[in-house]
Amino acid sequence: MNGWAGKILRVNLTQGSLKVEELPAGLTDLFLGGRGLASKILFDEVDPQIEPLSPGNKLIFMTGPLTGTGAIGGASYVVVTKSPLTGSIACSTTEGYFGPELKFAGYDGIILEGKSPEPVYLSIEDDQVELLSASHLWGKSTHKTEEIIRQEKENPWIARETSITSIGPAGEKLVKIASIINDKHRAAARSGVGAVMGSKNLKAIAVRGTKALTLANGKMFADSVARAWEKFKTTPVIPQALNNLGTSFLVDVINESGVLPARNFQTGVIKDVEKISGEHMAETILKLNKGCFSCPIACIQVTEVKDPAFLGKGEGPEYRSIALIGASCGIDNINAIAKINYLCDEMGIDTLSFGSAIACAMELTEKKILSKKETGTNLHFGNAEAVLELVEKVANRQGFGDLLAEGGYQLAAKYNHPEYFIGVKKQGSPAFDPRGIQGLGLEYATSNSGVSHALGYLVTHKILGIRGEIDPLTTEGKAPLVRLFQDGSAVFDSVGLCRLLLLGIWIDEIIPMLEAATGVSHSEEDLLTIGERTWNLERLFNIKAGFSGTDDTLPQRMLKEPMPEGPAKGQVCKLDEMLSEYYNIRGWTHKGTPTEAKLKSLGLA
Amino acid sequence: MKRLKIDFNQCCGCRRCEVACSLNHFEDSVNPKKSRIRIYEEEDVFYPVVAGPFNNAECTSKNIFILDGKEVDECIICRASCPIKPWFKEPDTDVLLKCDFCGDPPDPACVKWCPCQAITLIDEEGKIEVKIEDVKKDFEREEENPA
Repeated sequence: MNGWAGKILRVNLTQGSLKVEELPAGLTDLFLGGRGLASKILFDEVDPQIEPLSPGNKLIFMTGPLTGTGAIGGASYVVVTKSPLTGSIACSTTEGYFGPELKFAGYDGIILEGKSPEPVYLSIEDDQVELLSASHLWGKSTHKTEEIIRQEKENPWIARETSITSIGPAGEKLVKIASIINDKHRAAARSGVGAVMGSKNLKAIAVRGTKALTLANGKMFADSVARAWEKFKTTPVIPQALNNLGTSFLVDVINESGVLPARNFQTGVIKDVEKISGEHMAETILKLNKGCFSCPIACIQVTEVKDPAFLGKGEGPEYRSIALIGASCGIDNINAIAKINYLCDEMGIDTLSFGSAIACAMELTEKKILSKKETGTNLHFGNAEAVLELVEKVANRQGFGDLLAEGGYQLAAKYNHPEYFIGVKKQGSPAFDPRGIQGLGLEYATSNSGVSHALGYLVTHKILGIRGEIDPLTTEGKAPLVRLFQDGSAVFDSVGLCRLLLLGIWIDEIIPMLEAATGVSHSEEDLLTIGERTWNLERLFNIKAGFSGTDDTLPQRMLKEPMPEGPAKGQVCKLDEMLSEYYNIRGWTHKGTPTEAKLKSLGLA
Repeated sequence: MKRLKIDFNQCCGCRRCEVACSLNHFEDSVNPKKSRIRIYEEEDVFYPVVAGPFNNAECTSKNIFILDGKEVDECIICRASCPIKPWFKEPDTDVLLKCDFCGDPPDPACVKWCPCQAITLIDEEGKIEVKIEDVKKDFEREEENPA
């Protein structure tokens, strides 16, 4: 199959058995690959009511037809499972080199089942696939794990070209906000996917491949990639900003829009924004820019902190980490934010959910609901040292860290103040306050895998004004826009392209690349239907898992508390004005369930 | 003589050059492990290494000679034993790979695909004109009086 490797690796960890299966061609027509295909496999093979950390849950790594082909942004793959944090379907996307390398080894995806009796790691070198003991890796950080596996390779080139994805101590200890880290700093971060990997006693997957990916028409493909890159490159501001500053260029922009999550979303602006801005980062800690596989945008910021109090090096922090560890926790020291971010990656913790849980604990402290007695530390807004100490405590479930490890929702619920947890479906909110971007509130509320801006990327449309100006403070016309972006971003996730591309290109640019790679031509409408099918299937999974329309809501703060200052002053998110229209447009009942007719039209019933 | 100039300080490690090279030499397939340029990473620095006529190997002599109207370099002397060369072979067939500048005139795909100007095509100055007769005489002299 052009564009695809054509095989899926199925690993039963209970039995230690491996099976190579043909990629189901019928399913790739309906779901492309990546998120769509993985969701379909999970839906077909896993009972939605399964306990997420039990051996019956499956963990699926899936690339798309453009992953590894050389398409711009074509470094992406997804990790799909049932989330232990939210109880819903989880789809965590990540980039780097792992997805492409997996395809060069001959596999489009890996399905992991059961639970290994002992800690193991999966080693893939083309056709040589083995489950090896990970007893020497258990307890190690993600970085140390990569280092040890690389040291075992004799040839220095092979050591470097081996791509590794692993969990840190957090995943091993079933921390509900644990991530899976590949290529040292790329994270399948959200929904606690790292805990599922830990529950299977799987420490890491190391892969190196020497096979070719066949394309339908190489010449046409090269041309279409060049065109897509030209289009992206000529988008105003974005490409230069991304290349110079990474996503952290957003810090300034979002603060100016008044939707920066400051002090647990108590307000939308901060005073000393220049202390944590992308520009400041570039002047102080930035070493060089790095690109994921074959991506010319090169938005990764390799950084080093020389401040003795926060000594360290690594990648990032990206915008979302600066916003949620920095602004939301009242920390305005970029060195501290970077160090906390490095350590979260090493321990295998989602920086967003971590920042969210800490900010919640800080507000509970501020409101005198929590004290030093419970937290063991003075957890006031801005105490960077205390937050840094808590990273390893969360990863190892020590003291107060054990409670934080369950995520912000459980913390707030335990102290009977769930209103101080800012998130949806028990997952901490992304780094934009929807009170100043109405449509984003709808997107958060209706997201399938717990709130995640990444799953809709509506922010590109709203804040950056790409594809025309839109008034972010009105609710009018937002429901169809949210639906369009949700379906569109599902397409990006399914073909294997990084969602950051949505900052400069839309689905129409995917079509020629996809056709040249796979030989199959799609219209924009075809692709959006595939996105819609995926979205509905995920929704069905959640309904079977016990979710309903009542879960499509936002924290009280966003719905009831007017924004106290800044450009969005006085605003709340008027979700009600948009939700029923959204259900209607989606062809769902007023309770948010897909109708029989809708499911039939999508081939899902 | 056209050469590939590598500025590793500019390289972002994205490996687009590997994709470009393999796509250009194998038409409809992408395989970085068959690329004639590969990225070697060391401590967050990315080194693009080219298979063939010019690389920063042990040698320091980089003179270009015009021999019989054709430009050659000194790598022709020791290319086979170049410490980096053995890595550049097809993993499935062991066929050795060498950068051919994507044809004549040189139009390397890696240069076109590189987003960060780490690889550029330059025209090296300072050529040394050599007559083929002189080279023949040199060889004859060496054969008569081996060192």
